[in-house]
Amino acid sequence: MKEAHEEQANGAKAGQVVIELEGVSFGYGPEHPILQDISFTIPQGQWVSVVGPNGCGKSSLVKLFNALLPAGAGEITVCGMKLEEASIGPIRQSIGMIFQNPDNQFVGATVEEDILFGLEGLCLSHEEMENRLQIYSERLGIAHLLAKHPGELSGGQKQRVAIASILAMEPGIVIFDEASSMLDEGSRDELLSILKGMHAEGRYTLLMITHDADEILASERVLALHGGSLAADVTPAELFRNEELLERCHLRAPYAWRLAGELEERGIQVDVPGSEKELIETLWPYNYSK
Amino acid sequence: MTGLAERGMTMNERLLLGRSIETGSWVHKLDARSKITGMLLYVVVILLSRSWMAMALLAVFSVVVMASTRIPLKYFLKAAKPLRYLMLFIFIVQVVSVKEGAVWLSIGSWDLYEDGLRLGAFSVIRMFFLITFSALLTFTTTPGKLNQGLEGILSPFKRFGLSPDRITLMIDISLRFIPTILDESQIIMKAQASRGADLKELPLKEKGRMLVSLLVPVIASAFRRAQDLVYSMEARGFRMDAPRSRYHRPIWGGADTVFILMFVVMGVAVAWL
Repeated sequence: MKEAHEEQANGAKAGQVVIELEGVSFGYGPEHPILQDISFTIPQGQWVSVVGPNGCGKSSLVKLFNALLPAGAGEITVCGMKLEEASIGPIRQSIGMIFQNPDNQFVGATVEEDILFGLEGLCLSHEEMENRLQIYSERLGIAHLLAKHPGELSGGQKQRVAIASILAMEPGIVIFDEASSMLDEGSRDELLSILKGMHAEGRYTLLMITHDADEILASERVLALHGGSLAADVTPAELFRNEELLERCHLRAPYAWRLAGELEERGIQVDVPGSEKELIETLWPYNYSK
Repeated sequence: MTGLAERGMTMNERLLLGRSIETGSWVHKLDARSKITGMLLYVVVILLSRSWMAMALLAVFSVVVMASTRIPLKYFLKAAKPLRYLMLFIFIVQVVSVKEGAVWLSIGSWDLYEDGLRLGAFSVIRMFFLITFSALLTFTTTPGKLNQGLEGILSPFKRFGLSPDRITLMIDISLRFIPTILDESQIIMKAQASRGADLKELPLKEKGRMLVSLLVPVIASAFRRAQDLVYSMEARGFRMDAPRSRYHRPIWGGADTVFILMFVVMGVAVAWL
């Protein structure tokens, strides 16, 4: 499946750089710098977590990619297009963004109108819009909610509508700006499984601003921001092993990782677990041997 | 909160403004342009109704059209409920200020005149039917279709520099956010009440002061929401006045012409009565 869609993300092949930042800075005037000299590249298909304490510039950073905020300095290239006035339209087509508060991103008066809002902007034919409306509403499990008003939906349902609205536009890059922070546990798990499904398809490059350890663990790479600078570009495992970095980013390792650490301190060596279940599987032989 | 809130209904459910109620009736299927034109003609019909017979005909016509939407009439009545005190006020002003016709009742130096009573009753009836009947437009048309209809009606004004897209977008977003902002006001009021500033229990002067302190966070929050919404729209490639395709294309049919003619006939009938 992943290989089948390798070349579908805006013509980008797997591994090809789709986001490139070179010396990017941003601030609200010279007295209020937010981001300073940020440089990194993100290849197609990668799932990247963006972490850092509140106010460190995570949301500002991702809003620079599609010119929702204007970069003060540096160069941004998305899908091979240098970000400038003429390329804003195509770049916004290739980047989809899902924001924190599902209420504030609901443009249409009904679920159907909200999904159609982006599609009508793409000037698609009626048949194509109908086709995408059906595909993405079914895929996100909201086909039965198309006539509903935002006030009739739960937070999780609203967030699924927001995702369907973005995916229906078929962007290659999807950014989740703390999209799970206002959701309950069940809806969070639902969102995480949607993300895993999207990643498995291989056609999406995913960026997720998050404070959630499980979401970070599911990603492939972590960009840690601190004080407006890129403090670390590491794997989730490297992040969770680095106590100092975790503290700087105001994060905690997942429960299974913390427990494995405690066990190691007491002389019980266990492999780095991906989940609580994996940790139990690792520990089970110890119990059995007794 | 009392009443509906106790029965587990949210502010969104209580507020009927901008809500369409799908029943699949013939009125629902009409082109939004004919419904908007029909509403404008209805205002003319109301203004032309100047006798009890005309009022009776107006009432029968309004109730029949409302009933044909298959939406329970109580929903239409709910739309008028918030304005009941305004209607009462208008009635009292008419009764007190009009001093023409026969005197029906004298209390001390004050006289109740027949014309005052009649004009007061007419004003209330007109206002009542105007509100309840105009709810038919939003009840039977989704905001998206309503906007398309409005866009269609306003499109001739493009040549004068007017942007129908801009106007309809503003209306659409305003309608969309009214329940959300009302919900937020309710939350802020509860937050203030929990800190000992219950609006309901304060004297009138204090209520005024408290309302100002309520408005500041509500307006600040509305600006924050507006900013988020702009981000969401721009992230989906929205640009003002950029070309857009339409999923729902308005189609003018025979029923639309009949709908308009009904109001024309009614106008002639009430003017004659």
